[in-house]
Amino acid sequence: MFALENKNHPTPMKIKHVALSLALMATGIASAHADRLVIKGSDTLGAKLVPQLAEQFKAQHPGTTFDIAAEGSTTGIAAIIDGTAQIGMSSRRAKSSEVGAAASKGKNMKPTIVAFDGIGVIVNSANPIKGLTKKQVEQIFTGDVTDWSAVGGSGGKISVYTRNTSSGTYSDFKELAMKKRDYAGGSQKMAGNEQIASEVGKNPNGVGYVGMAYLKAGGIKAMPIDGALPSTKSVQAHSYPYWRPTFYYTNGDPSGLAKDFVDFTVGSGGQKIVAQVGFVPIK
Amino acid sequence: MKKLTLAAAALCVALGGTAARAQDAGALLDLLVKKRLISDQEAEEVRSELVKESASTAAGKWKLSAPITELELYGDVRLRYEYRGGRTPSEHTDNPNDWYERERERYRLRVGLRGTLADDWFFGIRLETSASSRSTNVTFGGEPSGGPFAKGDDGIFVGQAYFGYTGFPDFKFTGGRMPQPLIVTSMLWDDDINPEGLAEQWKHTFTFDLGGGGGEAVQSYSKGGYSKDGKVVAAPAAEPFKLKLDVFANFAQYVYDDTNPENPIGPRPTTTGNNTGNNQLVPQTDAFMMAWQVGARLTFPNSIYVQLAPTLYNYTGNGDSFNIHFVGGNPALSNSASLATNQTGINSLLVFDLPAEVGWKAWGLPMRIFGEFADNIEGHDRAHAAADLGGFDAHTGQHYAWMIGGALGQLKAKNDWEIRAWYQYAGQYALDPNLVDSDIFDSRVNQKGVAVKAGYMVADAISLNLTWAYAWRINGALGTGGLGDIQVNPLDQYQIFQADMSVKF
Repeated sequence: MFALENKNHPTPMKIKHVALSLALMATGIASAHADRLVIKGSDTLGAKLVPQLAEQFKAQHPGTTFDIAAEGSTTGIAAIIDGTAQIGMSSRRAKSSEVGAAASKGKNMKPTIVAFDGIGVIVNSANPIKGLTKKQVEQIFTGDVTDWSAVGGSGGKISVYTRNTSSGTYSDFKELAMKKRDYAGGSQKMAGNEQIASEVGKNPNGVGYVGMAYLKAGGIKAMPIDGALPSTKSVQAHSYPYWRPTFYYTNGDPSGLAKDFVDFTVGSGGQKIVAQVGFVPIK
Repeated sequence: MKKLTLAAAALCVALGGTAARAQDAGALLDLLVKKRLISDQEAEEVRSELVKESASTAAGKWKLSAPITELELYGDVRLRYEYRGGRTPSEHTDNPNDWYERERERYRLRVGLRGTLADDWFFGIRLETSASSRSTNVTFGGEPSGGPFAKGDDGIFVGQAYFGYTGFPDFKFTGGRMPQPLIVTSMLWDDDINPEGLAEQWKHTFTFDLGGGGGEAVQSYSKGGYSKDGKVVAAPAAEPFKLKLDVFANFAQYVYDDTNPENPIGPRPTTTGNNTGNNQLVPQTDAFMMAWQVGARLTFPNSIYVQLAPTLYNYTGNGDSFNIHFVGGNPALSNSASLATNQTGINSLLVFDLPAEVGWKAWGLPMRIFGEFADNIEGHDRAHAAADLGGFDAHTGQHYAWMIGGALGQLKAKNDWEIRAWYQYAGQYALDPNLVDSDIFDSRVNQKGVAVKAGYMVADAISLNLTWAYAWRINGALGTGGLGDIQVNPLDQYQIFQADMSVKF
């Protein structure tokens, strides 16, 4: 026989109260989650552009919060695959292996171009060199050439600064400028564009590359490549050799807050900020 | 309009091979964007779909390192039945006129990767069953322990591991454990041998356009190229010409035997392996084999060609494994004592070799006559050294070897057939017994005889081959030098039959 009543058990009224409380809590969490956007990935996009876009977006959507982590494109794509972010920022295309990994987890890597960028090759502003060819850029960054005198400079051992391996710019530059060859053995890997610009600005023999948004840093100058400088016009016309699209990756078509933010980014308001920060608008 | 264009672009790309779609799409999509037929975003969406599709294919899951520009997986599996037997001589002290016979069923596996790298480099590796330099076979049921179907002798060994450079016009440089870079025949070189060391090859083609015609090139060390066996390959049809002259030079420096150590602690070790009972210092230098080959191939219209590849082989240094003077057996001794005499010494070997070949086509059938003459210029010294150690007369006339034969047909594609026959004569002191073919005639010298091979391609990848050879001892006063499968020395008569079925991929 079972006991009909147990005083240690909650009464029906108490159960109803707890259930109501839980429902309210859950609603509250859902509500908070819906107004919070987690964005991870590219330092190129995440250091300046996306925070400024987020600020503007928040002004139009009060109550929205952003969690932005800019640790390289690889981390952004991985975050979409793992489901730990709604938007993955990337300055490169997802690799075949990443797309395959996403598919195996039921994810669909959907790219949205948010801006164009030109990867500028920078040297110290005191460096007398006036320009480089594509071949010379390849030779410098692969270590085939180690002295400035070999590329028309005044002499001195070349110090190569690159991004670290999780950076989309790191792999994009290999593909665009180095025929996918490895970087020179002695190249120094920096965490972000600003660090590269800073190091090259301090080192008269330094050379590196940064996104267009960082070309105005002090102590550096951008090199014309085969006579072309990265500019809005040359990048939009795809005539500058080291141009590239930059992306938001989402799991399939974005929805909810993520869709709103993507739409804002590619809309006129967002593209205005894109131009202000130093990137090239998509239209 | 835009959507139509996009669909057309996607269709065009999709019509290509699956593995290549994503790469091909890049150029096509870039062009469509440049012509403003589609937007960057539309192009990106198509590109993303293609990458996704490609990533789900088997080819898309392979990842190759960036410097690889071309990669080929190749290999073969062969099943073989073999009979081989050798007869003791009538004057044999133990068992005169007795046949030592062996039948076995065997298989071999060879699988390799070879490819080209950026900036005119190339590489290759090949894994093989069997640790033997002159065989890749494993005998079914050959393990003495481990029960039936044991795997004790089914090992995988590195048969080839090499890389090289073709950046200078007409030149090819190779280092490592490589496919034979020289033009050779089985009389001197077993074709399973992958020599270790360095090779430098040069080849230049002169064409004499005398008013039309055509022909086939036969060997190419052209920039970025490599032949499947490192030997003869068919090159694309040449421009019209009357005569084509390929001039080539192949040089090789093989590490024949490494001495270890070069400088021991304390006094140098000694050995009594010279069968004299006297001590001999173990050498402290590595042994190298040098090959110097220059030659030419003259191709006339209608696939008629003549090829000569004179070569000089010399040895330098001693090594610690092949430095005892060669004896090659002694009929006056018991079989076991004769086998125990030195069979591998490389003393007094300076071999001039002249392989030659004439080929033509008649009634659409490739035909060729081939021959070879080799002379060990130091054969007299080798004969005297053997006689001194063996206690028999020096037979100094045993310093040359030759062969002549003919072939009909070729084995390239389904339903092709070929038959080859030749006569071969190899004097006791003419050749390096460590390199001669292990089947014809059981890795031995002081043998003469005939060999016949017949083959048929059942399918493009499947071939059937039959081989038969019979040999006789040349000089009855000498052993038959070399380490073979038949545990008889002298090998008075020898016979082998092989039936092979191979799949090549």
